[in-house]
Amino acid sequence: MLSLLARIIKTGTVTEQAPQVGSTDIEVTGENLKRAITRLYGGRSLRIRHVDAGSSNAEEYEMTALGNAYHDSERFGLSFVASPRHADILTVSGPVTRNMEHALRTAYDMTPEPRMVIAVGDGACTGGIWAGSYAVVGAVEKVIPVDAKIFGDPPSPLQILKGLLAAIEKART
Amino acid sequence: MDPLLISRLFLFALATPAFAALLGLLLRRVSWSNTLTQVLFALSGLVGLGAVALLALEMFAGSLSSLQIGGLGVLQPLGVPFLGIIYAGVLLTSFYSIAALAKYKEIYVLPWLNVASALFLIGMQAVVLAPSVLTFLLAWELMSIAAYFLVIADRTEDSLRAGFLYFVMTHLGFLALAAGLLILSGGNPLLSWAELAQGAATLGALPLSLAFALLFAGFGSKAGLVPLHQWLPYAHPQAPSGSSALLSGVMLKVAVFGFLQSLTFFPSLLFPWMLVVLLLGLVSAFFGALHAAVENDAKRLLAWSSIENMGLIFAGIALYFLTSGTAALAPLAPLFALFVMLHILNHFLFKSGLFMAAGVIQSATHTRDLDSLGGLARRWPLFSGVVLALSLAAAALPPLGTFFGEWALVQALALGLGAGDPASRFTALLVLSSVALVGGLAIFAFVKFFSLVFLGRARTEAAEHAGALSWILATPVAICALLSLGVGLVAFPLISGIPVGKLFGAEVVVAPGAGIDPTLVALILAAPALALWLITRVLRTKIRITDTWDCGAPLTPRMQYTSTGFAAPIRFFFRTLLGARREIITTPVVASNPWVTKKHLDWQIHSIWEVWLYKPLGHGIVRVAHSVRRLQSGVVQFYLLLVLLTLILTLFIAL
Amino acid sequence: MTILLPTLLILLASPLTVGLVRKFKALFQNRRGASIFQPYWALLSLLRKDMTITRYSSWVFHTVPFVVLGSTIALAALVPAVPIAGTYGNVFLIAGVLALGSVFLVLGGMDTASTFGNMGSSREMSLIALVEPPLFIVFASLALFAGSFGMGDIIAHFTSATAGSHVLTAVTLIALFFVVLAENARYPVDNPATHLELTMVHEAMMLEYSGPYLALLEYASAIKLTVLGTLFVSLLLPSFAASGTVLALLFLGKLILAAFLVAFVESTIVKMRFYRMQEYMALAFLFALGGAALIILSKLSGAV
Repeated sequence: MLSLLARIIKTGTVTEQAPQVGSTDIEVTGENLKRAITRLYGGRSLRIRHVDAGSSNAEEYEMTALGNAYHDSERFGLSFVASPRHADILTVSGPVTRNMEHALRTAYDMTPEPRMVIAVGDGACTGGIWAGSYAVVGAVEKVIPVDAKIFGDPPSPLQILKGLLAAIEKART
Repeated sequence: MDPLLISRLFLFALATPAFAALLGLLLRRVSWSNTLTQVLFALSGLVGLGAVALLALEMFAGSLSSLQIGGLGVLQPLGVPFLGIIYAGVLLTSFYSIAALAKYKEIYVLPWLNVASALFLIGMQAVVLAPSVLTFLLAWELMSIAAYFLVIADRTEDSLRAGFLYFVMTHLGFLALAAGLLILSGGNPLLSWAELAQGAATLGALPLSLAFALLFAGFGSKAGLVPLHQWLPYAHPQAPSGSSALLSGVMLKVAVFGFLQSLTFFPSLLFPWMLVVLLLGLVSAFFGALHAAVENDAKRLLAWSSIENMGLIFAGIALYFLTSGTAALAPLAPLFALFVMLHILNHFLFKSGLFMAAGVIQSATHTRDLDSLGGLARRWPLFSGVVLALSLAAAALPPLGTFFGEWALVQALALGLGAGDPASRFTALLVLSSVALVGGLAIFAFVKFFSLVFLGRARTEAAEHAGALSWILATPVAICALLSLGVGLVAFPLISGIPVGKLFGAEVVVAPGAGIDPTLVALILAAPALALWLITRVLRTKIRITDTWDCGAPLTPRMQYTSTGFAAPIRFFFRTLLGARREIITTPVVASNPWVTKKHLDWQIHSIWEVWLYKPLGHGIVRVAHSVRRLQSGVVQFYLLLVLLTLILTLFIAL
Repeated sequence: MTILLPTLLILLASPLTVGLVRKFKALFQNRRGASIFQPYWALLSLLRKDMTITRYSSWVFHTVPFVVLGSTIALAALVPAVPIAGTYGNVFLIAGVLALGSVFLVLGGMDTASTFGNMGSSREMSLIALVEPPLFIVFASLALFAGSFGMGDIIAHFTSATAGSHVLTAVTLIALFFVVLAENARYPVDNPATHLELTMVHEAMMLEYSGPYLALLEYASAIKLTVLGTLFVSLLLPSFAASGTVLALLFLGKLILAAFLVAFVESTIVKMRFYRMQEYMALAFLFALGGAALIILSKLSGAV
């Protein structure tokens, strides 16, 4: 225990330097997003429920990265919640497989208004390389109305943030 | 008021049930005979209640200390509240039985069932009124036998088995009572209570102890105290629900009355025996609460809870006598007395109400298995509110009456941590822990009871298509709930307002630290109201009805938690005390392939008392009987030898 | 009025506690985290949303948020943020009110026809049943130590007691900390940040609530955390409970300390398996018994 503590103190921080506030792209986008959320509900808080409708999980890795110490999306007012009933935004990834079609519909049905659906990744936006397969329905908009799309296979966390920003800006106008 | 008039009212209340039952028997071909009988029962209850109220007023005014009821009996002040409970119980349950029994005409032979009920009612009243040993024992036996016929009323195999167990246990209890009272009376069954008490004062320590043990065993077996409780959870639920309410809500109180009355014969010697009563009371309360928490049968759950509450009441009585005898602890005794009184009343109210509610549910869904109920709150919103109030009362939560009774108990125990010698302080600590654990388990049991019956979706077709609710059935239940709530609303100012010192003959600080600010109450009530106003009027929140969140796999009612599943954690935490037995029976589907199998889980909870006490005892008795049988050789000379030996032995003893 | 003001202080400050806990946890994880005022915004934005409710719920489901809110406000009023001398805020009434709030939350979870809600309810109910003995013993021994059943008196007594007598109550306070963590569904009993339904206790019962109802329930659990957290800090470091002109400032200090303690525990230990909860509760019970024995013995010897 003590030797471990001593070692922690001796080693110090060896991870790469955290980005300076207001300098990098992430910070700028994040601050813009924070302002946009404030104007959207006057609530400065955006709860996201993510639905994996049969994705390759690449999108999920990137979304998880939003919460890590580097991106730290919590400080912009984003949070991921456990139930669609708690959510403001549904993010959907994957080319809606036939098995997940019902799940997606019910999740959308249970999200209280005002709500927004964002398709994340090429699979969700167009069906991607799976489009036309007998096992998938295709793009998310074939199942539920989609408000915005974030392209990329997978989109990086920064792209996701920018996509969220664009979607909120669009919803306000 | 003229004492003669009051005693005539009591006589009327005592005689009417017999008259009603006879009338019902004579008119058994008439369709309204049951209604007539029950209305007359209710009338006798009403008149009795009036008489009790009049007598209580006289006694409070101090103009009357006891009442001679004709030539039949004497009513002492102790009996008055118990008679009140009997009459209130009769009034509520007979009103309920008008409609409840009409639904079961094919199952019960109503005229004869009503005869049993009438004898039961008369027996209970006679126990309270009995002036002498013999009348008391006769009344007790009448009550017990009549109760036996109530238990086996539907003549199913389960009922007969439960009835047999009850019959055996209650007669063992009767023997103990008779033996204990005869020891005290010096063998003379015709002594009145006053003469008995005089005689008992001259007895030595050993006969007194023996008598106390026998009487405690007798009354304890009726009240369902561990280890003589095993019959209660089987027998009480088998009776028709109105009678179950009387058995659990009222008859158990009569046992408490008998115990309290017999305590007056033991001026000395009480101290060590009260420790035994305290211990057995707490053990009963714990096992009752634990089994109630894991029980799946609605009515049996209520019966287990009766054992719990009886345990608490006996523990309270023991604590009263333990503290009142010591100078340092005497100020606490009134609080324990207050608890016992309030709890007797509260337990009567919520248990009668819940048993009748269970009857309503059973008559509408034809099951009392918690695993196959559910979703009734949407069908019967008002009735579910009534049962919720009763369940909260049974769980001893504020603001229901039971909470304030138990409040007096825990408060007195906490005060006990700081008074008396070290031994009594640590005893108070242990008792407080047990009471808290029992309270926690009781909350668990009744939250389970309410939510499995009323919340969520119906788990079976039967619950799905539950019929309409008859208001005649629901009204007595609602009255119980309202009274329970009323006790809660009245009890608190009463506890702080009444000079308890005057009531119980000792000075005491009642509920110290209980001051509640009116602004506080206003704030607590205002905040949710404000929130409601905000949501409905200001925000105008729209509500959209959807399915339950299912993660994509459609839910069926069978996927909800069952009672078995709900209690799984408690069963696991207390597994060593429950004696659960589970067995997975695997049968292969295809004979040639051992891998494809059908699995069947056989799972049961035994009482550990049954496993460790009853079964070995039963086996022991059988073994002894086997060895005694060798005497029955069939040779006449041998029998003559035995007779001779007995004669010689008798001569030795006599000389 | 002396009761009203501290209660309002707690009601106003309670979302801040949640924000502070999250901030401290973020700092422990080398993140910057959201603003400490984020929970206020989150609650406000929830109020502006519509609600979706399952078709299988009854009137009980709609009653739950209001009863839970009412009972936690009662809790805030009974456990004063600042010591109010007198026999006010009976400890056993506090225990009863705590249980009432939890029971209604459990009913809400059962009235959804959802397996997740049922599971959370079953677990929460088992925890409530087991937490009663240590809770009662801790409260009784605090009352014995202070010579009054009033929570205000108890806190006031701690501020004036000698250092030696504080040592005596240390064991009881450990038990109280166990109880506070269990009552608030915090580590190691429950994980408040989990998204996995199978590891949930408290959250699982609230999965079916949305919009304003959810806001009420989250607000109620923030109040509960604040009340019990600041109570623990007041008893642990009684100088924070001193009454004076800087009351509000001291209360803020208590909040920060309570939030730091919770965040520290949550960042340094792991959640226990649910089926080992009886060991946790047995430990809490043993500490409570030991603490009570210490106080009883010291009272007997006249040390306090």
